[in-house]
Amino acid sequence: MSFLSTLLDAAIQAGTVFVFAALGETISERAGVLNLGVEGMMLVGALSGFATTVVTGSYWLGFGAGILAGVLLSFVHAVLCITLKSNQEISGVMITLLGTGLTTFFGQAWVSSSINGFPEMTLPFVGQSLVRIPLVGEALFHSTATDFLAMLLAPVCWYFLFRTNIGLELTAVGEDPETADTMGVDVFRMRYLAVLIGGGFAGAAGAHLSLAYAQLWTTSITAGRGWIAVALVIFAQWRPIRVLLGAYLFGLLDALQLRSQALTLTLDPSAPLAGVLNPVLSFLLDPTIMATYPYIVTIAVLAFTVIRSDDGTLAVPSALQQSYSREMD
Amino acid sequence: MDVEIDVTAREHVPRWLAYAIPVTTIVAALTVSSLALVALGVDPLAAYSTMFVDTLTSEFGVVQVLEKATPLILTGLAVYIPLQAGLGNIGAEGQLLFGALAGTWVGLNVALPGALLVPLMFVVAAAAGALWAFVPAILRAHWNINEIITTLLFTFIAQNVRNYLLSGPMQGETANFPQTALLSAAATVPNISDTGIHAGILVAVAAVVLAYVALSRSRFGFEVTFVGSNPDAATYAGIDKRHVYVLVLIVGGALAGLAGISDISGVQGRFQNSYSPGYGFTAIVIALLGRNSALQVFVAALFFGVLFVGGTSMEVLMGVPAALVDVIQALVILFLITAEFFKRYRVGVRLERDPIRATVENGGVGE
Repeated sequence: MSFLSTLLDAAIQAGTVFVFAALGETISERAGVLNLGVEGMMLVGALSGFATTVVTGSYWLGFGAGILAGVLLSFVHAVLCITLKSNQEISGVMITLLGTGLTTFFGQAWVSSSINGFPEMTLPFVGQSLVRIPLVGEALFHSTATDFLAMLLAPVCWYFLFRTNIGLELTAVGEDPETADTMGVDVFRMRYLAVLIGGGFAGAAGAHLSLAYAQLWTTSITAGRGWIAVALVIFAQWRPIRVLLGAYLFGLLDALQLRSQALTLTLDPSAPLAGVLNPVLSFLLDPTIMATYPYIVTIAVLAFTVIRSDDGTLAVPSALQQSYSREMD
Repeated sequence: MDVEIDVTAREHVPRWLAYAIPVTTIVAALTVSSLALVALGVDPLAAYSTMFVDTLTSEFGVVQVLEKATPLILTGLAVYIPLQAGLGNIGAEGQLLFGALAGTWVGLNVALPGALLVPLMFVVAAAAGALWAFVPAILRAHWNINEIITTLLFTFIAQNVRNYLLSGPMQGETANFPQTALLSAAATVPNISDTGIHAGILVAVAAVVLAYVALSRSRFGFEVTFVGSNPDAATYAGIDKRHVYVLVLIVGGALAGLAGISDISGVQGRFQNSYSPGYGFTAIVIALLGRNSALQVFVAALFFGVLFVGGTSMEVLMGVPAALVDVIQALVILFLITAEFFKRYRVGVRLERDPIRATVENGGVGE
């Protein structure tokens, strides 16, 4: 495989985490509930998925356990934000702290365990021929089952949100809950549904991380990927297909940083400015400095997206972060 | 007979509730955690007695609590002050790290007598912490970009900058470990006379007093709380919201920087790569527990100081994993978010008896 196709392959694998997490966040925010607890839900999903796989030997059971753990933690967020009308930002941050604390405490016992996680495979039925497509064939059609699932989920989410009744009701609740209520949509039930789906996706993102991508458990394995996913949703303007593309873009960044650990790039000492540029290059390519790039790029992209749409074209759901109650208060 | 529960929004948070919530939260968390102790076969009362009574009645314990509390008070304020303006500075950990790195650099590379060097280290650490909060502050003030996300992402950047500096430019020459050389005596925060407590606690206490006075007695404090309670009305009243947002966040960053340098210079003695104390995250819980006043932040930080120190001695003496403190902290968080609800809504439980009988018992019709 060429360097480029290897890189694309790595980008897809690294991007899957963001696909799951950011699609879940999209659905939750589309219904009007901001979920800043993604990072915590991912951690809980990663640990319970990993522990279940160690105990049962089945990575599919582990994946299911990860989803379930994400759903359970998001249920706390739902009760707090929807029924008890707490501040969504505070609740989300607290959920992340809670997930971090719980997984640090209970995760210690699992740090040195090893598993047989999701294997790489060629997509069944059609993969054998498609995998020979130059450049992208290997990346798209030879991967883990969870990678395939993530690719499939983006169009499914798009269809769900914009082509099904229940999806349209869900987005209506995020835009104008009063009107939706008048039209007979159960605002509370719809928001619960959205938050729980979001939690399940976050749990799946975590389980994919520990079962397919890293195939191990370490404390704080997510390393801020949940927060990048939250930013990604804004960048993608709450659209599932753009979420997918954005996720692979961030995956590429992750992959670049991992692939170039040993990368050295220096100018010939006789070249003009080599004395100045060589130290700069070695600084920029230092692995610890390269590790900051995903975060810097996230902030830059977030700033760029928001500033560019300063004229009000940012497609943020109108009722995002607004709790809803039927009586006037 | 009918049980009726009605939930109504509060217009004001009553004063007693502002104190009852943090206390109830902590008591509830300790009560639930005692179940974990019972499961481990430990008598919860004995364990809590070791944790709290023994810690607070020994001189060594008190010194350690104050040492732990110093960075917790400062980072607590670093979250609390922006919170008063309605902002969530959850990246105090990154500001702490960056401030501490800059202050340590000064301590290692500037030759001055201690009376000048230590203050210079503190000033530089505060400036560096403020700098670390500056970009999120500008993005929030001018383009409404969520500061919760950006300050946290800056924490991840700070962690990697730390890794870079300690395994390269700032690495101590004698050691092969990713850490700096030891700070000289001149670069070490002196102890308060012979108490064994380093003077950083004085900085923390001064910060509490200043924050209390500034927020409750000054024009700046009025603007901060006005913007925090109703940004639109504040703008209408002629307050520049952007100005307030930038100011509270860089003040928060500066306080976190002070927390970092006082801990490195006063307690650690050198900056090690493994130094990531998590004070900036505990600070979020502290700020929410004490969000009614800077004095409450102070008390909450002391409480967590006792919890950390007592947790360690409980581990040594009774074999209870110190990670129980993490569980207690998680439970505090859980009860705290539930308490949010009771703060904003009044829940009335009424036992409504049969209306006719009630009328008869009240002396018949005619009232």
